[in-house]
Amino acid sequence: MSTVAAAGVPRQPIGLGRLIVGRIGFLPALLVALVVGMSAVDPQFYGLINILNILRNASLLAIVACGQALVIVAGGFDLSVGAVVALASVVTAKTMAATAAAFPGNTALIVASGVTAGLGCGLVVGLINGFCVAKLKVSGFVVTLGTMSATAGAGLMITSGIPVYGMPDAFVKGFGRAQLLGLPTAIYAALAVIAVMMFVQRRTLFGRYVYAIGGNVDAAVVSGVSIQRHVVGTYVVSSVLAALTGILLTAQVGSGQASFGGDRMMLQSIAAAVIGGVSLRGGVGRVEIVAVSALFLTILGNALNLLHVDSRLQPVFLGIIMVAAVALDELSRRSKARV
Amino acid sequence: MSDLELSMTTEPTNREKSFPTDWLWRAVLPIALVALLLGFAAVDRSVLSPANLLNIAQQTSYLALFAMAQTVVILTRGFDLALGPAVSMVSVGTALAMAGATAAGHDQTTVLLAGLGAGFGLGIACGLFNGMVIALLGVNPFVATLGSYNIAIGVATTLSAGRPVQGVPKLFSQLFYGGSIFGFPATISITLAIGIVLHLTLGRTVFGRSLYIIGTNPRAAAVAGLPVKRILIATYVLCSTLAALGAIMMTARTGSGEPNLGGSLSLQAIAGAVVGGTSLAGGRGGVGTAVLGALFITILSNGMNLTRIDGYIQMVVLGAIVIIGVLLDRLRQERRQ
Repeated sequence: MSTVAAAGVPRQPIGLGRLIVGRIGFLPALLVALVVGMSAVDPQFYGLINILNILRNASLLAIVACGQALVIVAGGFDLSVGAVVALASVVTAKTMAATAAAFPGNTALIVASGVTAGLGCGLVVGLINGFCVAKLKVSGFVVTLGTMSATAGAGLMITSGIPVYGMPDAFVKGFGRAQLLGLPTAIYAALAVIAVMMFVQRRTLFGRYVYAIGGNVDAAVVSGVSIQRHVVGTYVVSSVLAALTGILLTAQVGSGQASFGGDRMMLQSIAAAVIGGVSLRGGVGRVEIVAVSALFLTILGNALNLLHVDSRLQPVFLGIIMVAAVALDELSRRSKARV
Repeated sequence: MSDLELSMTTEPTNREKSFPTDWLWRAVLPIALVALLLGFAAVDRSVLSPANLLNIAQQTSYLALFAMAQTVVILTRGFDLALGPAVSMVSVGTALAMAGATAAGHDQTTVLLAGLGAGFGLGIACGLFNGMVIALLGVNPFVATLGSYNIAIGVATTLSAGRPVQGVPKLFSQLFYGGSIFGFPATISITLAIGIVLHLTLGRTVFGRSLYIIGTNPRAAAVAGLPVKRILIATYVLCSTLAALGAIMMTARTGSGEPNLGGSLSLQAIAGAVVGGTSLAGGRGGVGTAVLGALFITILSNGMNLTRIDGYIQMVVLGAIVIIGVLLDRLRQERRQ
């Protein structure tokens, strides 16, 4: 509910500093500080290869995190995204290999069938998640914990853990590893997803209802919002976006692998959403800030690598920063509530 | 308080009203357990062999301990995602301390004490961190323990340089794994003893009852004058201490400190608690639900192993079981109301 008020009511003019802290949060400031600091310390950091590398990884994380954010805004959780990335990857690769064997040379059909099958996986998992949460009223945490295990198992079962090859060159070299105007294709995909999600959150009934449901379910019910359909929708969007990430990753690497995504991607997507100001209480959060936070997390990992921080020690930093970000958010909320 | 009294007075009358069906609903999980065992036994006789039953009991005692730890925090509407990494961290810390003490030429008792001190110390530190971040800073348990999840993984792999830590003395393994107490293998007796103590603590002490009140209605608990913050911190410390004990038992079994020992234990422990009937909404569950859930998951995976079901299919089955278990529990709750 508070988001609706914050978005709708024009605020009094305030200073730039307070605007940044109040509206956008301290995240962009932290991001700029990190970038400036790293550029000063290590010239490798702003080399073209490193920047493209950062942007490519951040794009993949941002797409997953946008879906995760939508689910959390509605008051849920999606633990299955990492497993969906893996399943979509192997299903896409398997389908392409099978279609290529049946219709050799028909590149358009091969790619279309693979992508459709991959996104279809996401759709199915999302529908199962949404159905169990909305209709059967099982807690989202448990449902997605279950589908996470099941989806990861399915991905491993299909491949026996072996990478799947046999995708057409047009998909791998012509799309996954291609660059448009000097930037990898994944970045355009991420920008498109972020733009669409921003539009959905701000301008569509679905987006507004998701805020309403997360802010106060009872009020949403009384207002005539059909809860079930919209909750299913959030889980479907999350899973389909995770599947899209799986497909992009497959195109980039050139093989379908059941080891893509996984727990790490799932935890990072939640971390990105939470650091990006999405409240786990529901009803609050914007995808564009989540995308910035995905970029921040990626740059942080990259910086720790460049600074030769032991890779084993890196999770410690991630953990501390995550807890600190949320604790600061919580404390500032408390001080606001007091005023 | 009134909430609790209300539920205490209404429950018995309900039970009298629909005694047979309600009893049946309560017994769903134990019945399913027996059916599962018999089903697997029909495929492969060796499932019911004494050796395998003992094996199941031993496997269960680890998971039951972790599920109990998880149950304690779930009762207060919390989670501990950091349980698995904490297990890894404790395992590595215990082994390192014992190896170090042995190298320094101390006698066996000192070595043992050093190991236990390091293990429980790390566990308590992890619990204190979780509890303080959650209770004092007001951070959501999911985020707080996700943070300590990462920290514990980092600490465990850094301390051990990512390799198993050797040098665990025989006495330690004998004490916490190989030996037997009152004729039972050590692991089973330890878990039994802890289970009984925890059951009494949850049911008969002010601290234990407070957990249920906090989980049922946190605001009422605060209004009733319970020191909610202190209790929450103690709860997370208790959870991590139990996890540390489990980690020590597992380290005794493997005979080395393993930086990957915890693996997916956090989620397995939550699954165990939840399948047994612990409510994620807080305030419902106990030692019984944790043990039942752990037993169910262990029998399922043991049976699937013996009947040679593909490991990847097992993951799919386990995922489905978790959802179905919670769904059944919800239906059972609805019937009661």
